Amino acid sequence: MTSIPLSAYLVLALVLFCIGLYGALTKKNTVIVLISIELMLNAVNINLVAFSRLGPSPSITGQIFSLFTIAVAAAEAAVGLAVLMSLYNRKKTVNIDEMNSLKH
Amino acid sequence: MLDKGDEDAMMEIAWIIPLFPLLSFLLLLAAGRVLKEKSAYIGILLTLCSFLFSVLVLWGRIRGDTYKAEADWLNIGEAHIKAGFEVNQLNALMLVIVSLVSFLVHLYSKGYMQREDRLPVFYAYLGLFTFAMLGLVISPNLLQLYIFWELVGLGSFLLIGFYFYKEEAKAAAKKAFIMTRIGDVGLFIGMILLFWKTGSFDFQVIFQEVEGGGITQSMITLTAILIFIGAMGKSGQFPLHTWLPDAMEGPTPVSALIHAATMVAAGVYLVAAMYPLFLASTSAMLIVASIGGLTAIFAASIGLVQRDIKRILAYSTVSQLGYMMLALGTGGYTAGVFHLMTHAFFKALLFLAAGSVIHAVHTQDVEEMGGLWKKLRITGPVFLIGTLAISGVPLFSGFFSKDEILSSAWENGNYVLFGLAVIAAFFTAFYMFRLFFLVFSGRLKKQGVLVHESPRSMTFPMIILAVLAVISGYINTPWFGTFLGSWLTEGNPYLEPEHRSGPVWIMGAATLVSLAGIALAYLIYRRNSISREWLGGEGSFLHTVLYNKYYVDEFYQGTIVWLTGFVSIFLSYIDRFIVEGLVNGIAASIHKLGRLLSRFQTGQTQHYGAIAFLGLAVLVIIFALTGGMFG
Amino acid sequence: MKEVLLTILVFSPLLGMAALLLVHGTQERRIKWVGILGTLPALSISLYLYGHYLAGHSLNVFSEKAGWIRFGDFQQIDPKLFTVDYELSVDGFSLLMVLLTTVLSTLAAVASIHIKKEWKGYYLLFLLLEIGMLGVFLAQNLVLFFIFFEITLIPAFFLIGKWGYAQKERAAFSFLIYNGFGSAVLLLVIITLLARAGTTNIEALKYLINTEGVPLVSPIPSSMKYGMLIALLIAFGVKLPIFPLHTWMLRVHVQAPPSIVMLHAGVLLKIGAFGIIRFGLGIFPDQFKDLSVLIIVLGVINLLYGAFLAFIQQDFKMVLAYSSISHMGIVLMGLGSLNEAGLQGAIFQVVSHGLIAALLFCLVGIFYERVKTTSIKDLGGLSSVMPITAGFLLASAMASLGLPGMSGFISEFMAFLGLFKADPILAAIGTLGIILTAVYLLRAAMGMIFGKPKLQVNSEAVRDMETAEMVPVFILLAFIILIGVYPAVLSNPLADTIQNILSGSGG
Repeated sequence: MTSIPLSAYLVLALVLFCIGLYGALTKKNTVIVLISIELMLNAVNINLVAFSRLGPSPSITGQIFSLFTIAVAAAEAAVGLAVLMSLYNRKKTVNIDEMNSLKH
Repeated sequence: MLDKGDEDAMMEIAWIIPLFPLLSFLLLLAAGRVLKEKSAYIGILLTLCSFLFSVLVLWGRIRGDTYKAEADWLNIGEAHIKAGFEVNQLNALMLVIVSLVSFLVHLYSKGYMQREDRLPVFYAYLGLFTFAMLGLVISPNLLQLYIFWELVGLGSFLLIGFYFYKEEAKAAAKKAFIMTRIGDVGLFIGMILLFWKTGSFDFQVIFQEVEGGGITQSMITLTAILIFIGAMGKSGQFPLHTWLPDAMEGPTPVSALIHAATMVAAGVYLVAAMYPLFLASTSAMLIVASIGGLTAIFAASIGLVQRDIKRILAYSTVSQLGYMMLALGTGGYTAGVFHLMTHAFFKALLFLAAGSVIHAVHTQDVEEMGGLWKKLRITGPVFLIGTLAISGVPLFSGFFSKDEILSSAWENGNYVLFGLAVIAAFFTAFYMFRLFFLVFSGRLKKQGVLVHESPRSMTFPMIILAVLAVISGYINTPWFGTFLGSWLTEGNPYLEPEHRSGPVWIMGAATLVSLAGIALAYLIYRRNSISREWLGGEGSFLHTVLYNKYYVDEFYQGTIVWLTGFVSIFLSYIDRFIVEGLVNGIAASIHKLGRLLSRFQTGQTQHYGAIAFLGLAVLVIIFALTGGMFG
Repeated sequence: MKEVLLTILVFSPLLGMAALLLVHGTQERRIKWVGILGTLPALSISLYLYGHYLAGHSLNVFSEKAGWIRFGDFQQIDPKLFTVDYELSVDGFSLLMVLLTTVLSTLAAVASIHIKKEWKGYYLLFLLLEIGMLGVFLAQNLVLFFIFFEITLIPAFFLIGKWGYAQKERAAFSFLIYNGFGSAVLLLVIITLLARAGTTNIEALKYLINTEGVPLVSPIPSSMKYGMLIALLIAFGVKLPIFPLHTWMLRVHVQAPPSIVMLHAGVLLKIGAFGIIRFGLGIFPDQFKDLSVLIIVLGVINLLYGAFLAFIQQDFKMVLAYSSISHMGIVLMGLGSLNEAGLQGAIFQVVSHGLIAALLFCLVGIFYERVKTTSIKDLGGLSSVMPITAGFLLASAMASLGLPGMSGFISEFMAFLGLFKADPILAAIGTLGIILTAVYLLRAAMGMIFGKPKLQVNSEAVRDMETAEMVPVFILLAFIILIGVYPAVLSNPLADTIQNILSGSGG
């Protein structure tokens, strides 16, 4: 059960986070960007759960916390997609480069 | 016979003396509009009360001893500054002089200012001035004296500027206030320095410290000079004299009260009150004497050629004040105070008489007057009495006091100053009789004007003053006894009783000099046997310089006033361009920086994300390199 | 009741604000009455406090304290560490400042009858401003002080920017930016103190910082103390204002409505002096002593700079603005001399100038209302058409130039008395200011009052002061003369405070 070391979880989370970060910063399709953000969020969740079990002072707090994160992330995804839908209705595109009206 | 308690009781109520005119001031300020011309009666009545009480106090002081009462006024840490009043010989004498002249001027103004709409205001100001002046002379300490000193200046300022709609009056009032304030600053500094050196403002304490060697000699000299600067401002001593002739823009009764008899004498009073301090420093005494002597001859020479009757009298006042300072500076305490008193009477008389003349002919230019002797049957003779008194003709009061001053200068051994004083005496006799002959003798030049004698409210004060101008000299004469001198110095540890009789020839010389002046004036302006042009007529260099008062005003205008304006304008440029410019520069550069940084806002969310991530990465690297939290 | 009296005092204007909300915005007379009445509770409580003091009782009974904010949990070490309590307290000095505030607020509310529009918003902001000002003087810790300090900024910004004259917006922005900058610097000091000493209570700070060997959360090096003192001087120097941080205040003086300038010059600027005395001198006495020459020099510069510039201004309000700068120089000079006379003079000057500036601006409001100009060139001969106004104007000019018998003289005299002990040379230079003050004030005041009436003034419509307008003018003048004739009314309450401050600086 404890044969898998903490570092393995952390490396997994790191990899996931980096993939997510890469996707969020480079992809042109807004849907992909949103998905990448979800990836980063989940990488954090993995960290939380891993530390709650294997950290210096294990407690249930980390897991509860990640549950909250998941719930908030779900809400956030819903809002994000809704915004995206209405944007698509207006601009007929999901290309993130064209969504640049918030500039100087 | 009164017992001791009664005399003290008389002096105990000295504090009430200044309050009558204050009451008059407040009453007239509040109710002047209702009272209208009745205001005059309130003013007259209340100053009469002051005068009566002053006489009582003087009587009390003659029979009794110095009286002093004080209470805490302000505490600064451990130091208690007191307020109160003191009745000593000098104060009691001044009380009577001030309240008497003030009362007479109040009475005189009733007639002189008859047709003035703002009569209540005039009487209110007179009340304020009298209050301040009476308060000044009973102050037991320097601070209180300074307070009233400034208030006296306020009264003078308000009365000079009484005809506020006249530009000249406005300028004169402003000038009077500022010039005297320059002097006041000297007094202010001197007072504060004395406080730190002696721990008190109280005259007696200061004198004790001075005598006990509590202050260094140089500090005594410095403070004495600073205090004398204050006296110079108020008493119109050179070079702070220029405001006094201009102050003649005020109504004539004001000139009589403030700018002849009382306020301008306050400087002399101050030096007299602080006399032990001056005595302790020979250089300060020399300065007082020199400034006094210089002023005496300087102002007298200007007085020779002026055309405005009031200005001639004003320069004569400046010159006589110089005389008093000269007396004090050469050790003639009694002489100075004595001349202060006689001068108060005869100069007030001359101004009131001049006012009466102006009242009659409606001009102030002496060249336009003439032949008034027959028209003004009261004014003429009293004016003559005043002129004789100021010229130092024997048997009149000015003769005795002037003689006293000349003796004092002679005994002091300063023959230059003595010479100046003698020449000034000659000038005085000359210009006063020039004035007299131009106004009263010859033919009536102003035609078509109904010249009439002034009403009784004006002639009565003049007659009183004329009587005083004759008899007041006899309280201190070498012939009948120096009552004033012995009384003034009696019981005063700092003043040795003076029995100055001087060489007899001085008296003779003084008489000769003044008679010579009179004779010269008679020959030029009455008999016309000597041409007026014999020393250079109008247009000659000498006349021009004198007529323009040695260009002192122009000199000040060109230097000090100009410099102030220059500094102001210079600083306003600094304010506008450097201070404000700096701020505007900072604001502009922040604006530019904002514009520059706003380029980063592309609207591309992914750019923002990348930059944020980069920033985080940089922070983490720094954190790691510095060893982070555990470093 | 006594335990919460100060809170009631500070927040009593809320009562007036609530009442104002019930009045309809178009009922001008009623709004003005409610606005004026709204300032009365605070006035009466502060008068009660003064009466309480006069009766010889201690002011300490009014101190109040309640738990408020807590940062972190340090119960084990010291329950007080990193806590910010709600604490109000009053001593002689703050009592005087509170009295000044309440009196001027009421009088300024009366003088606000000349306000022409949106009376409701005006009086709401006015009362809010009063809350801020009262809180500033009573707060016992820096955080609370700061909050009240900021509360004064917002209403003042709107009052200037909305009810002022032609360039009111620019003036309001200048006001906000300069004071915002000052606040930022002040906040920096407060946070540093909180982080290093763990408290912002003034008394506690005085003890912690100036006692050798007291452990702090983290030690404050001496250089940092100087830094903080200088930061405080800058923060409050903007308010006072100290040269060269003064330009904003000129605009405010000229552009704000006179009734607001009464409060601004009368109270708000005085917060600067209050802050320097309470915090600068109170918390860092030793450093202050080392910098005292600098402060005196700044004071002399302020005095002369303001005086010279006032001399050439064409607008009477500008003359008064520069004269305020000049007069604040005397405060600095008194403070820098660090002795009883100087400090007392500085505090007297704070109160006295508050009253005199308020009086002058009250009069400015009155004659501007009639002649629609404050330019000295266009005015003249006011004495002929408005003798009473002119008389009061002359009297207040005299008060301002330090005529004995009025409050200005006492403060000037004591400040110079102190300064001559501390530094006779600088003091002698400073006395030049006494002459210059007379010169510029007489030039300005006589230019308007004396001479022949000019066109502007000569119109038939010009009437003299009305009774309602005379009330504030008369009361202010009465106070000025009272202090001038019997200065003990101020000096007695101050004695303890000054002793307290001076014992801190070891001199």
